[in-house]
Amino acid sequence: MKGRANLLSLVRCSRLRGWLGHTGVAAYCLSTLLLLTHGPGWGAPKKKTRPPPAVERAVFGGDAEARLIEVYRLIGQARGRHALAKAEALVEDHPNFQLAQLVYGDLLSAQTRPVRAIGDVSEAAAKSNSLLLAALRDESQLRMRALRERPPADTIPSQFLQLSAGTRHAIAIDTSRARLYLFENTAGGLKMLADYYVSVGKSGIEKGMEGDLRTPLGVYFVTSNLDPKSLKDFYGAGALPINYPNPYDARRGRTGSNIWLHGTPPEQFARAPQATDGCVVLANPDLQRIIKTVAIRSTPVVIAQSLSWVAPRSVQADGRRFTEALQAWRSAKAGGDISRITSFYTADFSSNGKALADWTPVLRAELGHARGRDIQIKDLSYLRWTDSAETMVVTFGEVIQGERIGLVKRQYWVRQDLQWKIFFEGVIG
Amino acid sequence: MKYARIFFPPRFCLMALTAALFWPVAAVADEYGDVNQLLRSGKFSEALTKADQYLAGKPRDPQMRFLKGVVQTEAARPTEAIATFTKLTEDYPELPEPYNNLAVLYAGQSQFDKARAALEMAIRTNPSYATAHENLGDVYAKLASQAYSKALQLDGSNVGVQPKLALIRDLFAPGAKTPVRTPAPAAAAPSSVPVLASGPTAVKAPAPVVVAAAPVASAPTQPSASAQAAAVATPPNPTVAVPPAAALKASSAARDVESAVQAWATAWSTKDINAYLGAYGKEFDPPGRQARKRWEDDRRARIVGKSRINVKLSDVSVAIAGNKATAKFKQAYSTESVNISSRKTLELVKAGERWVIVRESTGA
Repeated sequence: MKGRANLLSLVRCSRLRGWLGHTGVAAYCLSTLLLLTHGPGWGAPKKKTRPPPAVERAVFGGDAEARLIEVYRLIGQARGRHALAKAEALVEDHPNFQLAQLVYGDLLSAQTRPVRAIGDVSEAAAKSNSLLLAALRDESQLRMRALRERPPADTIPSQFLQLSAGTRHAIAIDTSRARLYLFENTAGGLKMLADYYVSVGKSGIEKGMEGDLRTPLGVYFVTSNLDPKSLKDFYGAGALPINYPNPYDARRGRTGSNIWLHGTPPEQFARAPQATDGCVVLANPDLQRIIKTVAIRSTPVVIAQSLSWVAPRSVQADGRRFTEALQAWRSAKAGGDISRITSFYTADFSSNGKALADWTPVLRAELGHARGRDIQIKDLSYLRWTDSAETMVVTFGEVIQGERIGLVKRQYWVRQDLQWKIFFEGVIG
Repeated sequence: MKYARIFFPPRFCLMALTAALFWPVAAVADEYGDVNQLLRSGKFSEALTKADQYLAGKPRDPQMRFLKGVVQTEAARPTEAIATFTKLTEDYPELPEPYNNLAVLYAGQSQFDKARAALEMAIRTNPSYATAHENLGDVYAKLASQAYSKALQLDGSNVGVQPKLALIRDLFAPGAKTPVRTPAPAAAAPSSVPVLASGPTAVKAPAPVVVAAAPVASAPTQPSASAQAAAVATPPNPTVAVPPAAALKASSAARDVESAVQAWATAWSTKDINAYLGAYGKEFDPPGRQARKRWEDDRRARIVGKSRINVKLSDVSVAIAGNKATAKFKQAYSTESVNISSRKTLELVKAGERWVIVRESTGA
């Protein structure tokens, strides 16, 4: 029996060596593992004894992704058989999860030969599918990176300066990480509920014109919820259109339409990192969770190339200078001096096609209605968007003293020199 | 996805030899022989009738039930064959062969996950079971190729190689699973170990079947007492010291044997099929009691069909006794999809000026 036992262990050892000795998968995943447990994430380095609390508290991605990461973790620990069993169960539940199939294939291959890299397919298959393979490897890397580099605890994307209590949820997308973060707006501030892998445009980001296959960057809002029954299979579990092009986009002459957050077709659990015509695509279970969670029209969707995560206290300070400008506008409007009010608007102001000269009568009518009564700003939200210019997307209820309800307004402000000015104003409810 | 039918190397030649070795009662041997004969001539229903008649009297007999499963497999009755082999694995869980053949049948139905599970059982039962290892390697490669096809969303039918799994024809084919237990030579200097010599020190059951007429001194092994046990119980052979002159002669012969073995590995690696097959002597006994022709066809398919083969030998030790030799070594075999390390033993005889292989076995 001794001879056999030796042979068995010999075979096992050589297989383990297959995993450990071949830099590709093993080393790659080992490093992932180390970073997953000890990585400092984005923020300042944490004390070694306390891993970032965000890692413990936040709900990672979807269930399928969590299972894939578990497989990676087992590979990193050279527990190839366990990893194989977990991967097998994962692809059984999600046979259309291409990345999971790729890793499962690697784990099977590793039973008979060394695996040199993620997706160690035959030479012929690698050659004829090089783009697809590269995309799957990218997806793998992006998913792992998003999970090992967590946003620091108790930070929020810098765009969310203030969200009214009526805004129950918010969405922020970091395209460099192929990640969507879903927040709940609680009494204690924004709390991350979950984050998901997303795909963006084939040609990347910063949409400029119709048909450029790019995903827009900016501050948007979910405008509607399209019934999946009315959609082609291609859109999966549903679609949440956003208001691209927004007034800031329109001001810069950006064109295009129908930018949606939507799901995946039946044959694909997830799509490649850059795969869409400009939409943001999520796995169907992830999209369903978002659809179930968020309110239509009031939920902001920030799409940024790279989110910067800041302490909520620091954004309050940033917002103070802007709120001073907003309050000055409010008091000018309550004062009823039309020329003082119009000084808050840019020369190229536009409200749904009306230039400033055309819009002044609307302003006069509003002032006539107020009849000198004070104006209150309620349920104020403002989100910052900074690229070549510094802009602010402001939503609030404008209520005249003594009236029960008012108009819900949205204004787009831009900082010109040191002055905040309004370049768009509209009533949204 | 659609897969082509699994290729079964049709090896019909199941000799009565094993039976004759293990079952001293001639009448019993004849029953197996008769079924084999019918199987070989393609008379499947007669073979099944004959097997059933025998099993009516001895319903638990593993050898005949195994044979029946082989007949059902050959008769393209996979469901029945699966039932037969499954029942065998339940009644004789210690036998790896029924698991192996179940795997072949499952693979034939493109049920590669089940094939894999069965082969893993075969290997758990006998870790040095070379055929199961090789089959499992092929099944893993196929499963991997399927997973890769799904990952890349390719049409599965035009990707990857169809595994050619080897069906075991005989339940107690010694070459297929039982390591030949001979002690390794004490030092690099060749020592004479009469591995194959007949006589009291010859390796006991399962006897190497180099020569059909080899006398088997040991008591007949019971079928249910698997050959493994017999192998373990085999006492080590004494190492015989040799005089210097003989050692010198032996050392030159040992070099010849080693270079013959290396030439065999090279032919295999370079897929020089003629040189490879030529390394085997007339008396070579193909594993699993296949006919020489069937074995050659199978080897040809397995070797020529691969795009790359690499066979490296290490720790080669050679023992010589007269015109017989035994070479033991570690064999590292790899193809584009499989990488297997194993211990191998080749037995060679001197035919004229050449050393040719008469027996090949895997195991420690």
